[in-house]
Amino acid sequence: MKKKFNLNRRSFLKNSAALTGAFAFGVPSIIRAEPKSWVMASSFPLTGPFAAAGSMGLKDYLDWVEMTNSTGGIAGKKIKPVYDDSAYVPSKSLANFKKAMSADDKPVFYGGDSTGFMKLVTPELNRTPVLCGGTSFSSELADPKTHPYQFISGPTYNSMFDILLQHIKSKGGKKLAFIYSDTEFGKDPIEHGVSKAKSLGIDVVLKEITKPAGAEIMTHISSLRRADPEYAILHGYVTGVWPQIIGGARKAKMSTKFLGTFWGMEKIIADAVTKQSGPFLEGYAGVTPYRYFYEAKEAPSYGKFFAFLKSKYGDEFPGYVSTWSVQIMFTYEIAKLAIEKTVNADKEVNAKNLVESLEAIKNWDSGGYMGKPVSIENHAIAQGRVYSYKTSNGLFLPISDWITT
Amino acid sequence: MIIGNYKSNYNSDESFFGDWPNKFAFILLCLLLVLIPFISSGYVIFLFTQVAVFIIAIVGLNILTGYTGLVSLGHGALVGVGAYATAILQSQFNLDFYINIPLSIFITSLVGVFFGLPSLRIRGLYLTISTLAASFIIIFILRNWNSLTGGDSGLILDPIEIFGIKIISENNKYFFIVPLAILSILFAQNLFRTRIGRAFIAIRDADLSAEIIGVNIVKFKLMAFGLGAAYAGLAGSLWAYNFLAILPSQFELHLSILFLAALVVGGSAQTLGPVFGAFFVVIIPELLKWAMGFLTPLNPTIMEYTAPANSFVYGILIIVFMIFEPMGIASIWSRFWNYVGRWPFSP
Repeated sequence: MKKKFNLNRRSFLKNSAALTGAFAFGVPSIIRAEPKSWVMASSFPLTGPFAAAGSMGLKDYLDWVEMTNSTGGIAGKKIKPVYDDSAYVPSKSLANFKKAMSADDKPVFYGGDSTGFMKLVTPELNRTPVLCGGTSFSSELADPKTHPYQFISGPTYNSMFDILLQHIKSKGGKKLAFIYSDTEFGKDPIEHGVSKAKSLGIDVVLKEITKPAGAEIMTHISSLRRADPEYAILHGYVTGVWPQIIGGARKAKMSTKFLGTFWGMEKIIADAVTKQSGPFLEGYAGVTPYRYFYEAKEAPSYGKFFAFLKSKYGDEFPGYVSTWSVQIMFTYEIAKLAIEKTVNADKEVNAKNLVESLEAIKNWDSGGYMGKPVSIENHAIAQGRVYSYKTSNGLFLPISDWITT
Repeated sequence: MIIGNYKSNYNSDESFFGDWPNKFAFILLCLLLVLIPFISSGYVIFLFTQVAVFIIAIVGLNILTGYTGLVSLGHGALVGVGAYATAILQSQFNLDFYINIPLSIFITSLVGVFFGLPSLRIRGLYLTISTLAASFIIIFILRNWNSLTGGDSGLILDPIEIFGIKIISENNKYFFIVPLAILSILFAQNLFRTRIGRAFIAIRDADLSAEIIGVNIVKFKLMAFGLGAAYAGLAGSLWAYNFLAILPSQFELHLSILFLAALVVGGSAQTLGPVFGAFFVVIIPELLKWAMGFLTPLNPTIMEYTAPANSFVYGILIIVFMIFEPMGIASIWSRFWNYVGRWPFSP
């Protein structure tokens, strides 16, 4: 006699349990984990003090995603960008991170937007690991033991100072001042910089700490005049303070040569300052790990992106992409490379394997983003070049070779 | 026929929850709180846990500002003291959470009393400015005492462990922190049925008159600062265990202003004011973000405009509440349940 199928509560529960068990244990984990697209999540400061840089970065990042997807994505799968505003508040970035990590489509990479966030997320990454990069060059993060899932897509601030100090040494500089913002970002390389300068025989005659915005410029210029250094390194600023200090020093007829670090090396800011207040930034120099976008001849990656933007926006595209956006794109290029390496090695794409692939990046041709082949050491890339600003053509031009530390 | 919420005997006057609609609402809320972790994503649970921490902090501010009338702009920094006390006690002395939390509360309370000393000589706007100065002093210490506080890099904590279970998942943190928030509210509710609570209210309403009728102003003002700071200490301690990493920038002036705004929007000098206020400042921005998210498919870069719009709408909402409901959201809540209690004879 044919058994009649009768779905009662007990049989329903039994069948459901069996089905769940089959899915849980019967299907190989690598197949279950296979995503349809690569979710790459990030926080952008679309409001708050760095809203201008954040908005620019988001737009260029989305264009980079569109370009990458139009050429097949990563290892045959498209990128699904997920992003949120953080207002440059680390706690909000952390909330965005938790939101991304609790979604059904978990990200394979998370892009943070501040050093503060990179610190706050560290314990969380131990619980929910994901490859994590971002805009921070904090020296503390370049330690795979304490920050196993985080990487820096360039040199640490310590390395940037090393490059600048080597440059100063090569020019015969003896007296140096550090002017830096009263932020974690500003204070990061100072201690290291002092000891490195000492080892190179350079005398640090002044350590001047300023507000990150709205600093009392004339007070700081007075200190600078008293110390009268040959060189001054400005660090911990993005859009403001550094141009005002240089302007103040020039008004005070000081001949001190000013140098900056990556976030204070943006052409858009230098151009705007020159347009508004005159050519006093002439000769301002600093370290950046990436080529400027107008050096596309030496950077095929920039050339491709240029062509894409030109075809998308036509004459509306001004022909320049900010260094801030280049930094974000390069971070994603590294994540992309780590994913490709993991897929090619036939491994599951998870945080652990991605970190292994990341650490295996040696002598990679970055397509011109950086001048020398890229190798990841201690989750950072210790190379950069010194550029100097020319007010006549509004360009930062290289004045050193690519330096590794 | 029910025509009002009248109390006809001492028992009903002393009753903790008031009439049946309030009891019903409380039970409903508790049920909802138990259900949330089972029906929500990790992110939503994280938000509710954050709301719970905020509630504890704002209840403390409510005692100080709402009930005692001493407006403080240093409450965020006191939460920082609690958080750092917890992190330092754990990292330097390796203390367990059950010693750590009470000690952090005690330390923060002492700091609160110390910074409350000016209240014995000054009041009103001048006192507010002195609490603002206290906030700057505390943050300066947190940022610059590198050997103890880690400076701008902050500190990282180990999670709480109870009977071998690490309180690290969102669910575990939720079930650890939310009950403490409920207990904090109940304690505050009960406080204002005692002599101490009534002394606070008397000081707020007319401190000279209170002194004339025998209220020891010095003692009770400092006690209000101590109690408010104790709540901040508990909130800070739980904040540290919730995030497991703390930075001085988290506790700067903006946090104190946020707490004050939450108290005013939620309803000052009302038990449920901090609850609604905390929900308002934590959940509303997220809801706005979520609502604006529906526009993203229209244009991927639209967030460039919707993100500032969120802040704008959020600001407008606060202004609207100030104009149309100056007694706060708690007042709407209380009117609603009074209406339910009197139905069908509600006006």
